[in-house]
Amino acid sequence: MTRPIVVIAEHLEGKLRPATDELIAFALELRQTMPAPIQVLILGNDPENMAHLIATKTGLDVIGIQESNLARYNGDLYKNILATLLAELNPAYVCIAHTPTGMDFAPGLAHRLGAVCITGVESVYEDQGCVLFTRAFYNGKILADICAETETAVLTVTPGFFKPPVADPAGPGRIEIRKTSCIQARLRTLETRKAPAQKSEFAQAAVIVSAGRGIGKKENLALIFKLAGLFPRSAVAGSRWVCDAGWLEHRRQVGLTGAVVSPKLYIACGISGSVQHLAGMRESGFIVAVNSDPHAAIFNIADISIVEDLNIFIPALIEAHRQKT
Amino acid sequence: MSAMKILVCIKPVPDSDALIRIAPDGKSIQTDPLTPLRMNRYDELALEQALLIRDAFPDTRIGGISVGPKRFETVLKRALGMGADHGIHICTDTESYLTPAVTAAWIAAAVRSRNFDLILAGVMSEDGLHGQVGPLVAEHLSLPCTTAVVCARITPGKAAASVERVPAEGLRDLLELSLPAVLTIQGGTQKPRYPSLSNILRAKGQDLEIIAAASLGLPETLQQTVRFKYPQKIRAGRFLEGSPQHKAQELLRTLKEKSFLA
Repeated sequence: MTRPIVVIAEHLEGKLRPATDELIAFALELRQTMPAPIQVLILGNDPENMAHLIATKTGLDVIGIQESNLARYNGDLYKNILATLLAELNPAYVCIAHTPTGMDFAPGLAHRLGAVCITGVESVYEDQGCVLFTRAFYNGKILADICAETETAVLTVTPGFFKPPVADPAGPGRIEIRKTSCIQARLRTLETRKAPAQKSEFAQAAVIVSAGRGIGKKENLALIFKLAGLFPRSAVAGSRWVCDAGWLEHRRQVGLTGAVVSPKLYIACGISGSVQHLAGMRESGFIVAVNSDPHAAIFNIADISIVEDLNIFIPALIEAHRQKT
Repeated sequence: MSAMKILVCIKPVPDSDALIRIAPDGKSIQTDPLTPLRMNRYDELALEQALLIRDAFPDTRIGGISVGPKRFETVLKRALGMGADHGIHICTDTESYLTPAVTAAWIAAAVRSRNFDLILAGVMSEDGLHGQVGPLVAEHLSLPCTTAVVCARITPGKAAASVERVPAEGLRDLLELSLPAVLTIQGGTQKPRYPSLSNILRAKGQDLEIIAAASLGLPETLQQTVRFKYPQKIRAGRFLEGSPQHKAQELLRTLKEKSFLA
């Protein structure tokens, strides 16, 4: 029997995450390289409804694992349950979302399966009989084509690269619900808190000025705010690193783990252009990038590229604007 | 519980990726050996987290561990300067790229018998972006692991850690893990501290523990990098030329043409 491609569905608070659709799109593309059945797995304390949704929408077979201790995501339980189940299914590939949840269990699961784990996959293609997975290094400056050398490969797939297929299944897939019995874990998720609801300014902003690590230090944010101040209806945003470092509030973060924005104008200041960031702003109308590194990946997506030190260029821009008005 | 032992996995990365190129054969990445190294910023946050725990429980001992060529020592020395008590260098005789599977296997082999209560690592490295070393070390040592942690508190009496992680933007999961455990750190409440003069002086007189990587066996790489390549340009990306002032004028003109500015 052909070894299946397994997709692990991602969900949160009873709803499927958009990453699940993209994983299925990825699995369908992967299937172009080898004919194989696609098997979707979903784990939770009540996965049946979501399993039906997937089976109906995609026509793929779904196994739901019902575990009462999985009211919330638990990495230890995911690894325990999946290692057993996948040993039985013996998949060629296991597709997991490249999200904080997927990244929490994918490497450990791979280890238990004796499989390689390739994280952050952006594309897949076949070359000379070898299936290659492309992933980014150095903030997206360089890509690598990687070939798995283990019988099973665990892949985490970066959101934003695979368009969900148009739903047109011949009929719903088969659904199987398996119950596990209160497996114990070495860690417990006690509660999930919502960060205090913060109003995002991005929805109303026609112009977003965004700061990356290249601004050098927190104090230089003043320049970024000044620059944003030139434009009516503007907002200041930051890269993941700038927000993780506490230079800007997390509600201002643009990227895979932050907001996805598409303003008319996006000015990227000192942003290297990591995959993580590009996923949040690539649909912007017009993109200006300022970076002192002429090879920064952000320039691949910019309409206007400026290689300059921000501390010199932004004051020059503000001064030029002042003179003209 | 007696004095806690914490290990922090520290990866030196090039201070700037400006001079990184693909080698002519397309099979390897060339970094400029003159580009200074610095601590991967997520590992720096992990070290700060360890130092905060020691601030609260002064008996705590902190070890830092790195895998790579001899020149990586400078970054381990910096860790000592920031306050780590001990540095372990798994020394390789090559500059070439190590897969996370290899790095993690070596770290696990080196520390297996040392009984660390807590192993911290950055959520990922800034160059490789794999996000795997912490979780893989946990598997090798059969320890529980949680990733993307932004806050960790230790309850020594219970041998447990209470942590907050970010499962998705705008959410915080509160978890409890039994120790020993592995955590990967994504953020923190404190900016990593600067090395102090007294620590730097102490570090100067202190030797790092050097372990030859070859003595730890040869783990399987599990994967092969067929080629490296540059990403394709998605937009035209016209580069403006001239002095900063000239570029500013030019940009201003374009922004006005497109009615972004009055």
